[in-house]
Amino acid sequence: MFKRREYEPDYACLTDQPSKSHNRWGQSIETVPPDDPRRGQSLNINGDGWVSDNPNRYKQHGFFFNADNCIACHACEAACSEKNLNPPHHAFRSVGFVEGGSFPNVVRMNVSLACNHCDDPACLKGCPTRAYTKFAEYGAVLQDPDICFGCGYCTWVCPYNAPQLDPVKGVVSKCNMCVDRLEVGLKPACVAACVGRALDFGVVENVPEGRILAQVAVPGFPLPDITHPNTRFQQLRSLPRDMRRVDSMPIKYHRDDDSGAYVPMLDPKYGFERHWSLKKLLGSHENSHIAFTLTAQLAAGAFALLAALGTVLDPLRALHGSAMWLPSLFAMFVLLMFGMTKLNLHLGRPHRFYRGYYGLRYSPVAKEIFGVTVFTVGLSGYLALAVVRAFGADVVSWLGLGGYILTAWFAHPLMTVAEYLWALVGLLGIAYGGFYMIRLYRIKARPYWNHWHTDASFVGSALSLGALLPLAVALPFGLVTEPLVQVLAGASALGLALEGAALIAHARDLRDAKSEGAASFYIQTTKFGYPYLLRNGLLAAALLLALGLVVVPGAGLWLLLPLFALAVMQSILGRALFFAAVIPTTMPGSFFWRNPGFVEHARDIGLADMPQVGVAYEHHHHFKIGELLETVRNTTPREIWAQTKRVFTG
Amino acid sequence: MLFGRTQKNPIKLAEHGAVEWKYATCGYCSTGCVIEVGLDAEGRAVASRGVADADVNRGKLCVKGLVEHRLFESAGRGLYPMKRKHWSDPWERTTWDDAFTELHDGIRRTQAKYGRDAIAVISTGQMLTEEFYTLGKLTRGLIGTNTYDGNTTLCMASAVSGYKRSFGSDGPPGCYDDFSHTNCLIAWGSNLPEQHPIIYYRLKDAQEKRYFPLIVVDPRYTALAQNADIYLPITPGTDVVLQNAMMHVIFKEELEDKRYIEANTNGIDELRAEVAKYDPTTASKICGINEETIRVVARLFAKANPGMCIWTMGINQSTHGSDGVVGINNLCLITGNVGKPGGSPLSITGQCNAMGTREWSSASGLPNYRLLEYEKDRIDIGKFWNVDPEFFPKKVGPKQTDIYQVMEAGKVKGMWLIATNPMSSLPNTARVRKAMEQLEFCCVQDCYTDTESAQYATLYFPGGTWAEKNGVMTNTERRINVVNPVVKCPGEAHPDLWIFNRAAERFNTEGKVPFPEKAADIFLEMREISRGRLSDITGMSHELLEKYRGIQWPYTEAQAASGERPPKGGVRLYTKDATFRYPDGRAKLIPLPFIVNYEVPDDEYPFWLNTGRLVEHWHGRTKTGKIGNNNKFSPIPFIEMNPDAAEEMGIRDGEYVRLVSRRSDAVAMAKLTQRVRKNMVFLPFHFHDCANRLTIANLDPYSRQPAYKQSAVRIERIANQREAAILSKEMRKF
Repeated sequence: MFKRREYEPDYACLTDQPSKSHNRWGQSIETVPPDDPRRGQSLNINGDGWVSDNPNRYKQHGFFFNADNCIACHACEAACSEKNLNPPHHAFRSVGFVEGGSFPNVVRMNVSLACNHCDDPACLKGCPTRAYTKFAEYGAVLQDPDICFGCGYCTWVCPYNAPQLDPVKGVVSKCNMCVDRLEVGLKPACVAACVGRALDFGVVENVPEGRILAQVAVPGFPLPDITHPNTRFQQLRSLPRDMRRVDSMPIKYHRDDDSGAYVPMLDPKYGFERHWSLKKLLGSHENSHIAFTLTAQLAAGAFALLAALGTVLDPLRALHGSAMWLPSLFAMFVLLMFGMTKLNLHLGRPHRFYRGYYGLRYSPVAKEIFGVTVFTVGLSGYLALAVVRAFGADVVSWLGLGGYILTAWFAHPLMTVAEYLWALVGLLGIAYGGFYMIRLYRIKARPYWNHWHTDASFVGSALSLGALLPLAVALPFGLVTEPLVQVLAGASALGLALEGAALIAHARDLRDAKSEGAASFYIQTTKFGYPYLLRNGLLAAALLLALGLVVVPGAGLWLLLPLFALAVMQSILGRALFFAAVIPTTMPGSFFWRNPGFVEHARDIGLADMPQVGVAYEHHHHFKIGELLETVRNTTPREIWAQTKRVFTG
Repeated sequence: MLFGRTQKNPIKLAEHGAVEWKYATCGYCSTGCVIEVGLDAEGRAVASRGVADADVNRGKLCVKGLVEHRLFESAGRGLYPMKRKHWSDPWERTTWDDAFTELHDGIRRTQAKYGRDAIAVISTGQMLTEEFYTLGKLTRGLIGTNTYDGNTTLCMASAVSGYKRSFGSDGPPGCYDDFSHTNCLIAWGSNLPEQHPIIYYRLKDAQEKRYFPLIVVDPRYTALAQNADIYLPITPGTDVVLQNAMMHVIFKEELEDKRYIEANTNGIDELRAEVAKYDPTTASKICGINEETIRVVARLFAKANPGMCIWTMGINQSTHGSDGVVGINNLCLITGNVGKPGGSPLSITGQCNAMGTREWSSASGLPNYRLLEYEKDRIDIGKFWNVDPEFFPKKVGPKQTDIYQVMEAGKVKGMWLIATNPMSSLPNTARVRKAMEQLEFCCVQDCYTDTESAQYATLYFPGGTWAEKNGVMTNTERRINVVNPVVKCPGEAHPDLWIFNRAAERFNTEGKVPFPEKAADIFLEMREISRGRLSDITGMSHELLEKYRGIQWPYTEAQAASGERPPKGGVRLYTKDATFRYPDGRAKLIPLPFIVNYEVPDDEYPFWLNTGRLVEHWHGRTKTGKIGNNNKFSPIPFIEMNPDAAEEMGIRDGEYVRLVSRRSDAVAMAKLTQRVRKNMVFLPFHFHDCANRLTIANLDPYSRQPAYKQSAVRIERIANQREAAILSKEMRKF
């Protein structure tokens, strides 16, 4: 129980005012009905079973921020960091600036934001480990770092950067609404610390004393319709038409005169020169995503072509059981394993990988993981069966077991049925996993990804790379025939064409978008301008070559080699751009703190060596096998059963 | 509603584990916030929080105070005394006993060789009052050098001198409670939200409860300017012109308080004659404020009744610093706004105990606003300390800024430098460096070993910091409050008071001058010296200070004896007619002619250089540069630069630029903002080897305070950004 002082000033104490029954989106402010069994429970904070008698405990609470009053004094941030004992590089609440006008008619608007404890929390739904809970108490959205495995997906989907991935600890944590203070009738630490009379807190939609408005957004605050946030604002001071961010984001907010709302627009702060920025492009922490998505899509595409189309198309059927058959399946398996391992090791807590299924009910990530697992099982079974069929009889006879095991079984038609079944499992996994692999990137808070370009890119990679794998494996075995080239180069060309069409549409739609997408396009064509051009050129060349091979399949098998190279290079560059150029809808940063440009600079130049600079390096975390074994040892079968059940029940 | 989990897990929240809270007063700025430091079961300081029933801060703390307990274990603390023959030699550890011998011998050797005043003692506004008092007694009474001053010359000297010139004594007449009564507030060169956040809280809280217009005069569009009803973007250095023009309007429209002028002031005719020359039309061309606005503001202030003025370094750090203060005093005097609830010229002081050193350090004379120039004062104190009054100089010596000029000329050969860092803080540090290089003896006493000035030390004393010590401080509104020793000093470090007392033993060989050991006992001695004076503290004691969360002076023994509880706040000076400190009880109205005696931008150096504070940092960052939750908000030096100027020069946001003045150059990162005008850059002074490489050592003729706020620079693009970044990083270790 939080210890209240003998004397607490009024500004720090919650008041019991009448509140509305429903919020502006029609959601009941009472979180649960009056006789709900969830009422009257202890929050069990730090092992304390005490039950608070706060009269408004089952009403949705939220922050109220008077943007006119905030002076960016950082007191709320410091109070929050002290309350939660966060290290300098990690914070739940941050103040950012946007600025407009010209001297002396200037407005600098400061925005202090932590978590909005949304009605429809994207973080909670996105989390594959089910680390999030929205509590009936105060409607607080809390996250448990002890469950989290550090994938950071919640930080992608939250439009307001509330969840914070700590690169040192490797887990996410976030604003906990100071529920321990609420339980004893005190406002959160940040509110009690506010110096400018800007930050307040209470039952949502209540307007604090001395304030007249409860707006849902201010310039720089991402659109509230994604998650129905529970923070309310008052911002009455007239603002200039353009409010620009002072951090490195090439974005400004422009007033739409009809609605009065400020919409994000491109602010080309760094000119229009093209750069390579290859180190940034390929050396980032995101490169495990490049590896995973490409290898998984390649394996899925190749498997689908061989296992499904291989039963109907003659040139492919001819490969079945040939010398390249097992090596192809092996290559798919190895590539898939490589991608999955790379992805798993990029987690903050890789040894907690098994928790990736916990959020199966809501999380597209968990669903993707589940689908890819099913695909892996299908592929493995299919591969194992192929191995058995190829070598089973020989091994049995070599071992001298011919009298005990009927080698004829290896050729039995049931074996073919089994092969179909494994193929079906794999294909179902591909369909389900592939669908959610796309879905998980279609994030509203990331306009660059939230475009059919993502779908096309993933399907395109599966086709373009997946079709080339059998060709590449068949080539050294001399099994490449003209019809085979026609079918597979055709499939590859289809994939490349799809990607190309999507790229054109993506560029057209993003260039002038009223969203962070325009800034992404700007980054893509300036900071990564040369790689972008190169990628487009490679894609066009690969497409031409692939089409050429469809038309003149006998033109020369050596042409396959440049096709492989072009297709692989364009895929890697394209996928690297996909991850490097994305700009999320974030809250504005300040000159240094939460300024992505400064964070990058501090890491480059070594300022990040000093912990008090507030920037930590990103690095990989160890797979702690000991911790995993301990979990295995200490988890009873009953708990395992209960946990498994909750995967489906939530 | 979507809750996510059918099974709720227990909640784990971080706990600092404080089991005991100890009372202290914040050691950063002059607001005087009351803090409780939380100690865990092992006695480690783990938390800081504002004391809720303290009238000053009402439970609030700023970003620095909220993490102040982290100071105790910050990097670079001095753990043992050290010495060396020459500053170029490596340090060797020594004992305290030997260190005090070195100090005594070093001082006496210097004095014997070069004269009594060839040893400089330079202190600070950072220590506790009992420590200043003891150091003053030691310096004036035993060491006997007249080369004695503190770093308060860099921040408050102009306010002190302006108050003395107008009212006959130092001492701010107003208090924070005035915000709750005023009908108009003019802030002159004061950016409360960044410099004094909790005073800003008091202002904002009062203004939200009872509206009053806020007028902000500042060349830069500060956080306070943004909250102003009327913002006056004045041309740097021209405050006196604006003040004269406002008085011109007031006299012309007969808005002055004739009764008050008649009963309380001398010199009205001379003042009228001078301000007659400053009609708003003429003035507007000099100060950059249009004439109608001058008239509107003058009328608003004159008719406010009561109206209030506050100011900080925008006025003080100028060649017209003292004049600017007198100008504000003039405005307040002619409108009858002194010592009234809501009507006062209130100087917002800089350091936590700048007021304490003004009152008690003897740097500008003798304790409790006594002057060396007055024989009676010399005799009084001589008697009290058991020192021959003839031992005292009859005229106060040079100020810190002048001391360095004498030192540069080789006339000062030894120094005892206490809790201040002139290598970072004095203007034109190239010359400061030369001055310190030629010292034969230099003892640096500081809680950190890594202050830049320590590189020229031959002797190092590790002092305690803030609440490792016991004593009192005085804040902006004359409130004395107590600091308790919350934790012990690290290693062999000791509180400065202990160091002064041990040092005194070496000089006080006959034992005739009393040096009480405990701060509370010294406070009792100080009480006696204050009896019957403007700053009478005879009603106070350490216990009462804590009980009442600080007491504003004056609070007399008679008030205490009659059972009169010290008021929570609202104590003012000069509340009755003709109670000013000149012999006739009248304040002086002093005419202020205006001359341009500061550096102004020209073709070669086209930008105004404006320096100042950031809320997250304190002084030279020896403290806040090591605390992540302060430092991270501005970890490297930067300039605020106008985006239009930057675009013309091809400078982009986040690029490093080279700033060049007539003195030297500096590297800083450009941050583009319209808060500065096109021909001005703002450069925070906190970073070593940066702002003060550029600033000019122009001094105010009265206060000797440097004109940090007015100098000229040019800005150069840097082609090799990487090299500049590495250089900027190399130039500071924290």
